[in-house]
Amino acid sequence: MRQPQFMRSNTFHWAFMVGGVFAVFIIVLFGFIYWKIDDYLTARSDRVITAQLEGIAALPPERRLEAIDERLRQDPRGVQLAAIFAADGHRITGNLESLPSDLRIDAEAQGADIIRTDRNGREHQTVRAIARRMRNGDVLVLGRNVDEAKEISHVVGQALALGLLPGFSLCLLAGAWLSVRAQKRVEEVNQRVQRIIAGDLRERLPHRTVDEPFSKLAVIVNGMLDEMETMIHALAGVGNDIAHDLRTPLTRARLTLERGRTNAATLEQLQAVADKAIAGIDQSLAIITALLRLAEIENSRRSAGFGTVALDEMLREVCDIYEPIAENKNIALRVGATQPLTVRGDRDLLIEAVANLVDNAIKFTPEGGKVDIALLRGEDETIVCVTDTGCGISEQEREAVLRRFYRSDKMRNTPGVGLGLNLVAAIVKLHGFRMAIRSGPGCRVEIVCPNRQD
Amino acid sequence: MAKVLLIEDDSETAEEITAELADRGFEVEWSANGIEGLDKARSSRPDAMIVDRLLPGMDGLTVIEALRKEQVRTPVLVLSALGAVDDRVRGLRMGGDDYLTKPFAVVELVARIEALLRRPAESRETILRVGPLELDLIERTAKRGDRAIDLLPREFRLLEYMMQRSDQLLTRAMLLEEVWNYKFVPATNLVDVHMGRLRHKVDGPDDAPMIHNVRGAGFILRAGS
Repeated sequence: MRQPQFMRSNTFHWAFMVGGVFAVFIIVLFGFIYWKIDDYLTARSDRVITAQLEGIAALPPERRLEAIDERLRQDPRGVQLAAIFAADGHRITGNLESLPSDLRIDAEAQGADIIRTDRNGREHQTVRAIARRMRNGDVLVLGRNVDEAKEISHVVGQALALGLLPGFSLCLLAGAWLSVRAQKRVEEVNQRVQRIIAGDLRERLPHRTVDEPFSKLAVIVNGMLDEMETMIHALAGVGNDIAHDLRTPLTRARLTLERGRTNAATLEQLQAVADKAIAGIDQSLAIITALLRLAEIENSRRSAGFGTVALDEMLREVCDIYEPIAENKNIALRVGATQPLTVRGDRDLLIEAVANLVDNAIKFTPEGGKVDIALLRGEDETIVCVTDTGCGISEQEREAVLRRFYRSDKMRNTPGVGLGLNLVAAIVKLHGFRMAIRSGPGCRVEIVCPNRQD
Repeated sequence: MAKVLLIEDDSETAEEITAELADRGFEVEWSANGIEGLDKARSSRPDAMIVDRLLPGMDGLTVIEALRKEQVRTPVLVLSALGAVDDRVRGLRMGGDDYLTKPFAVVELVARIEALLRRPAESRETILRVGPLELDLIERTAKRGDRAIDLLPREFRLLEYMMQRSDQLLTRAMLLEEVWNYKFVPATNLVDVHMGRLRHKVDGPDDAPMIHNVRGAGFILRAGS
């Protein structure tokens, strides 16, 4: 038989388990109470029969018989036991058939198996009893049937049933209710998610203002969906940009080939056409390569391959490589890295990032300008900073250039693929560093590396 | 005649490479999948191998690792659509093999294969000589004939690399990787600027040029005319 949906849910299983544990606890508690009351009643009846025994024993022998008869008469419930046995063991009076063999004489009250005998017949009973030898050799036995214990257990059992069954049922009901409710929420969320999967990116998960885990989760997921929606829109825009950027050199190559095919008369002319076409195709390929490399860096999780990188040495190396280029453009390229500073990272990628920044700086700085590479040590961070005296990046564009795939219109007309800053941003992000663009004399780009806590 | 084993699953690419290498006087053997390629590498003992990374049967790096385990030291050029942000690729490069990202220019491929085949032997020579050019690796001095050439450390390293591989086409990417330790191609024509400066120093106004620019490909250092 298939269980109903709510009974298979985790919530319900938990409720069932908690209910079970609760029930066991209650049963143990009631057991303890029962044991305690039983103990108390036994002690009380022991005290009573001991006191009565003292009382009867104090009487003269002939009055004892009367006292016992009196006592048995005034016992409508039939719980009292009393008897006197002669020294030879035969019963003188009372409702005990014989002197119980296991009953120690002149001891404290104790449990004993006796045979009760009266008008109604004989009956085996387990009772509390006490025996004392009188001065004339008779043995006086008093006892009390502690059947109340049974009654108490009955009462306790009833109370248990009355309290436990509804409690346990309530637990199960609560579990079922919670699980049904959770399932309804999940179903609701599922429907929305299905719509999102189907392509409706504006759909969001329902949430209430109450401080409740489900709503919190929904808010978190909605935040993620917001981010994804922006990203997907950005990506769609990027797709158009890339298509545009790829088409330009390809169109040029195609035109060149087409015209060359009709116009070229000599082998040299044809070769020149081919060279021009190859250059156009190479530029398209360079864009694709840059995009792939960007994706590769963004997707890589290779912090395992990180080592210690000496930044000062690395900066000097980058400066060394770019010095002739700067010199050709009459730009003063300087590196200010006096103190040895290290970070954890991938040396190749970090060189690539800094080289890209320096490359950009030289490209956008007019002749006679300055490019400075500096290494600064802050309280909690090490900063690599490239400053130029170029046109700078306007305030509005500053955030945008760090956004994925953003390309400034200014950059579009300069040679190069124009994904350099994105690449730097990707490398910086991979390392867990930060990148900041400020205005220096021209533009000032900082790579902020938080110092390691070790 | 050097024998090259090409393991590449795309038949058109393979045909182009084979044709180009044959033109350059190589004997090329082609295999379209990893397992067959590994068998051929074992049986025909090529002088160099070109291996695509993504192959049916067995991927390229696994083929190379299998060969290396058998102590086969044939130099390998790995082709891949993926870049080099990968530890396995680093290991490969440290083992003396080379790596080329698709798409690539055919001249680049040929230059790299030739470089792999003509790896300079470990030499104890402390003075390199190519034609009239002389480089003292201990004293860190250079001269052409009797004329001393004043070189910056980076220029020295560039010239040293070129002299060890004289008469070989060296592409810009190769120079960037080997001399500057750059694993990427920068936007600016870095190599040309450095080479221009070196050439200015090496080839004086009255000397016959030794550093030659091969259009669209790279540079060659030649001993003489």
